[in-house]
Amino acid sequence: MHRGPGAPLPLPSVTDSLVASGPLPRTRRPRARSERALIRGAIAGSETDLETLFREHWPRAYRAAFLIVHDHAAAEDIAQEAFVQAIRRLDRFDRRRRFAPWLGAIVANRAIDWLRARTARRESGQEPSESAVAADPPAGAYSEEVLIALAELSPEHRAVVVMRYVFEYTPGEIAQALDLPRGTVNSRLRRGLDVLESRLEKAQPA
Amino acid sequence: MNAQRALSSFRAPEEAATQDRTWTVVRDAYRLREPVRRRRSHRRLLLAPAIAILLAVVTLSPAGATVGRWIRHALGVPHAAPALFRLPAWGSVLVSGAGGTWTVASDGSTRRLGPWHQASWSPHGLFVAVTRKDELAAVDPHGTLHWALARPAVRDPRWYVPTGYRVAYLSAHTLRVVAGDGTGDHALATGIAPIAPAWQPGSSYRLAYVTGKGRLVVRNADSKRIIWTAPLSGPAHELAWSSDGRELLAVTPTRASLYDAGGHPIATIPASPGAPIRTASLAPDGKMLAMIRGAANQDVVVWNVGSPTATSQPRRVLSGAGLRQLAWSPDGRWLLVSWPAADQWVFVRVAGMPRIAAVSRIARQFSARGAQPSAPDGFPSLDGWCCTTTGTAS
Repeated sequence: MHRGPGAPLPLPSVTDSLVASGPLPRTRRPRARSERALIRGAIAGSETDLETLFREHWPRAYRAAFLIVHDHAAAEDIAQEAFVQAIRRLDRFDRRRRFAPWLGAIVANRAIDWLRARTARRESGQEPSESAVAADPPAGAYSEEVLIALAELSPEHRAVVVMRYVFEYTPGEIAQALDLPRGTVNSRLRRGLDVLESRLEKAQPA
Repeated sequence: MNAQRALSSFRAPEEAATQDRTWTVVRDAYRLREPVRRRRSHRRLLLAPAIAILLAVVTLSPAGATVGRWIRHALGVPHAAPALFRLPAWGSVLVSGAGGTWTVASDGSTRRLGPWHQASWSPHGLFVAVTRKDELAAVDPHGTLHWALARPAVRDPRWYVPTGYRVAYLSAHTLRVVAGDGTGDHALATGIAPIAPAWQPGSSYRLAYVTGKGRLVVRNADSKRIIWTAPLSGPAHELAWSSDGRELLAVTPTRASLYDAGGHPIATIPASPGAPIRTASLAPDGKMLAMIRGAANQDVVVWNVGSPTATSQPRRVLSGAGLRQLAWSPDGRWLLVSWPAADQWVFVRVAGMPRIAAVSRIARQFSARGAQPSAPDGFPSLDGWCCTTTGTAS
């Protein structure tokens, strides 16, 4: 019997010379396509455009879901389902809008639903005892403090903070995406920032 | 450092790995996405319910059964959805196809667990026992490997219900048992018929299996003591306990037999002449029995086995040529029927108002290049429709 994913495969030995003989030909770097062009291409059936769009937006969508639910496996599921949902509705996407806020709204709403469902399962005793542990911990300055501070906030507060500072939405866009009054968004942002600032101040070396 | 900078510099765990994993799922969803629909005219909208009612009358009434059968033989279920957008009931379906093993969540999202050939849910859906040629393994529903075991010709893993502390499986013609954490693997019996063993729920690790000579055996997997045995009418192809562990179903081509926990036969459903039983499945509450029977053309019939008097009143819920497998939804209200000949999954509501919903292009949805198909024709096999922590596996 063996446990875990097994021993890593040996790296192949490098035998080819990487030194170019003579001057290298000039190559023109392809221009990055605009988001609107990528969406248009994806709707028309270009898998390459879709992949570019996906890889551009995945890290932020997954990160946002993780910051709201604090569970990497659930965050992966949430962001994945959000993408799948977005892909299915791509034909109906209003191309005048930005893609990120649209996707972010799906992620945030799904993450909030997931947290509410988990709370309900805990209350009814159906929450499994196992919890997924990531192979790599989160990275970045004060990542632990960020998670601890966010854990002090309700899911709705967390979602607003994450949408503002990870997705860089305006308060107006957040209000529209989460179907909240603008004043509520501002007050949740203020409270979220206060908790975060206070936690980070404590963590900073004197 | 202020909060904004801390948040923008934050990196979640395994961002690159999750990106690669998810891309395959997103790409598949993209390939199967619903095409843009043109706006329907009001006239067609008005006609649609009338057509649906007519179809229901034609296909479900006894008088129209022949016509209905003809329609489904030729075309599969009409108006099948082009892809699996959602399940009609909660839970997750486990499916193994040419592209490996996948889970399908109730919202239709799919996740590939890896290049496995067969799989089985743990009782609460927290883990999946998976097999490929010479390997048995336990993975979680995200595909993370927890343990693996190398044994020849591994197939049909089954978790002990309700704890998952044991996994029984076949290795060539040997029945073996391993603890749920991958330790203590041992042989329980040799000369076994190639059908999946069945744990008696809530018992002290009692396991039912069929010998190569066609004898039904119930045995304690830890002490290896035989509890009871019974002869079968032919080569068995299905064993299943009711969820309360009080009844054991054994299915052969000529009959489906129900035994009590002590091995006494309590009910027998014989096959009709010329219509052998192909497969059968007990509902999660053990009160209904679904069966595919027939030679060239098959029917899916449902019996109420909750009361002994009702066993003679089967109800036909679907007909077609080339129906293959059955899986009950965790709530026992829906039956999922796999139909390789039409490349469809058909969801049949068996509780309340009858309803049929079909999904086409199933083989393509669970395929991938370079993988070994789990069935000879490459059509994905149903490995269970589970509970997702709110009940028991079906």
